[in-house]
Amino acid sequence: MPDRPQQSYLGKIWLVAWREFRHTALTKGFIFGAVAMPVVMFAVIAVLPNLLSKQQPPLRGAIAVVDPTGTVVPRAKAILERRPTVAELAGELASNPPETTAERVDAMSQLSSASDQVVEVEWRLETAPDAVASIKSSLAKGELIAGASIDPGALDPAKTAEGVEIFIPSSLSPKHIGQISRALRKAVEQERIARSGVDPGLLTRLADTPEPKTTRISPKGAEAKENTELRFAVPAAFMFLLWICVFTSANYLLTTTIEEKSNKVMEVLLAAASPMQLLAGKILGYSMVSLVILVMYGGLGVAGLSAAAMMDLVDPMHLVYLVIFFAMAYFMVASMMAAVGSAVSDLREAQSLVAPVTFVLIVPLMLWMVIIENPNGLFATIVSFVPPITPFVMILRLTATTEQIPAWQTVLSIAWGFACAVGMLWVASRIFRVGVLMQGKPPTPRELLRWALVR
Amino acid sequence: MPVSSAVRIENVVKRFGSVQAVKGISLEIPERSLCGFLGPNGAGKSTTIRMIMSIIAPDSGRVEVMGATALAMKDRIGYLPEERGVYRKMKVGEFVGYMARLKGVHPAGLSRRIDDWLERLALPGVAKRRCEELSKGQQQKIQLLASIIHAPDLLILDEPFSGLDPINGRLVTELIRAEQARGATIIFSTHQMHTAEALCDKVVLINKGEKVLDATMRELRAKHDDRGLVCEPRESPRAFADAAVARGLAVRARPHENGTVDLDLADGTDAGDAMEAALALAPMRSVALRRMNLDDVFVELVGAADGTTAKGARIDA
Repeated sequence: MPDRPQQSYLGKIWLVAWREFRHTALTKGFIFGAVAMPVVMFAVIAVLPNLLSKQQPPLRGAIAVVDPTGTVVPRAKAILERRPTVAELAGELASNPPETTAERVDAMSQLSSASDQVVEVEWRLETAPDAVASIKSSLAKGELIAGASIDPGALDPAKTAEGVEIFIPSSLSPKHIGQISRALRKAVEQERIARSGVDPGLLTRLADTPEPKTTRISPKGAEAKENTELRFAVPAAFMFLLWICVFTSANYLLTTTIEEKSNKVMEVLLAAASPMQLLAGKILGYSMVSLVILVMYGGLGVAGLSAAAMMDLVDPMHLVYLVIFFAMAYFMVASMMAAVGSAVSDLREAQSLVAPVTFVLIVPLMLWMVIIENPNGLFATIVSFVPPITPFVMILRLTATTEQIPAWQTVLSIAWGFACAVGMLWVASRIFRVGVLMQGKPPTPRELLRWALVR
Repeated sequence: MPVSSAVRIENVVKRFGSVQAVKGISLEIPERSLCGFLGPNGAGKSTTIRMIMSIIAPDSGRVEVMGATALAMKDRIGYLPEERGVYRKMKVGEFVGYMARLKGVHPAGLSRRIDDWLERLALPGVAKRRCEELSKGQQQKIQLLASIIHAPDLLILDEPFSGLDPINGRLVTELIRAEQARGATIIFSTHQMHTAEALCDKVVLINKGEKVLDATMRELRAKHDDRGLVCEPRESPRAFADAAVARGLAVRARPHENGTVDLDLADGTDAGDAMEAALALAPMRSVALRRMNLDDVFVELVGAADGTTAKGARIDA
């Protein structure tokens, strides 16, 4: 026999892994779907609200108001026309820059709601108490954009503010209705305050409720500024990132395995590599795909936070946990998908087997709020040790708060999680070995179990 | 000098549920031979081949490939499964290259080697095309190429001719001969008896999970050649047939519509003497020794197992 080079055991695994990676991650579809898409979406989310807020339709036309005292209309006119523009807000921000994260978020929301909307409203003051009928007919003819009637009783500080009516044509947009309504309400309020003789400044100060500055004190005495919105956003972002990375690639693993079976290419592969080599190669290949997605999305998140100078929200240790629990989650989900993919002949058959798995894995998606609220609670602690969702729950708990998760729980969940992942890989390999050669009717879960347990 | 075996299987049994697909088959395939696996559909050929390949494990019995298991010898075996499959989106060159690399072929010079082979298979310039762009027959040739690109010592081809037109069929026949000439042992299964007859050194006939024939072509010819004559009398074939049986020249005589008569000679009759006797019996256009026909052997053995008289079935066919 001629001396021939043979491919080593690991060499075959690597060849399979590289093929899977190359034909998944280095394709136009993937680059567009997994790489370009988030970038585009990010850009759209960041830019679109600004574009929209700047393109508000102008408010033009006449508003007739039955205002027997003649005091409400001038006030309403002033309120409607005096709205801060983007330029004004920007100027204000420049002279008084925000210092805390909360202030920055606040300034951004103000900026996005500000606008350079054109307001050209002609206010018509009607003093005759019976002018309402003529206003209504003018509205019907389209001569007015709105009408209103103010009962003088509504301006009496001794009474409740009742007797203000607004009439609008059917074509007026909700945005414009809101603007006009707000101007009139504010005008009546101002007039009532003026009539009562109370200093409006005093009233504002009196009505001012305190905005408490919340500081979280850890058991070790460390202080951290509390930010409620971001306290929810950061753990959720970590968990969703994990979820998206793992599921995208595990789904690829499922569909390509089914494709190889239905294409009948599986037997050709089995003549060249053992089922274990194939499975290991596939899982390795898609772990690389998954890592690319993780680095892409995670990197985008980190870049975004750095750009907004908010990296203080992310503890570097969180990134370490992300990598650990990513590996755990990936091996758990990938082994299930590989087992199912090997056992069925088409995607539709796979759905029914994958459904229960997906159902369990949706739990962290539905209950993340509950878990973040009380990361050391009984529910959160228990679900941390339920195998397929362990990594998702743990990443939520670990990033949820400055409150410490007991160290033993972190260590135990990692050890237990990886032990389960290894167990699931073993079961998957048993099923894969039998499943890849099976054709025809899809197996029942019971048959799958038998495949896993027989010699 | 004893010839060593490329494949040796002993008393191999395989069941699928309640169906016993292979019932204790034993056989040996000598190195460098070209062996045909024949048998009707569902006889157990593919199951036997898959067990040789270690793709499925036998329930009992032993399979040895080049002195070891097929798993250990994977890189020295080329395999074309019965169910054809390629990666549809992969380019032809990439697909063949991938299979070659899995089989241990060094990447240096591989694409050149693939191009040469594609040329040889009358598929020049398809390396850059996706597999799905090729016709079914072309895909089949690509898959055949993927099974021989690493110059295997043992080549197992499950129905290599099915779905091929005569031109491509001839091309594959030549390729198989060339692989044998290179030194490979070849096992192929087929329904096409004339191809097996033309190509094989040895045939194994499997029916209902059992081996019903295992012989070299030489043995088969020795057994079946010279056991009959094909005569073409100038006058009535039926009268000649009756006379041949009446005179004890043949134990059976079957006239055909084309004017020829098949004579089955009695055991121990010398074929030369019988030819002379036939010429003396009636004026003849031609008298020839009847050559062994694998089709007949197949129908006889498989038909016998089915309880039908194969020969009777053939007479009026």
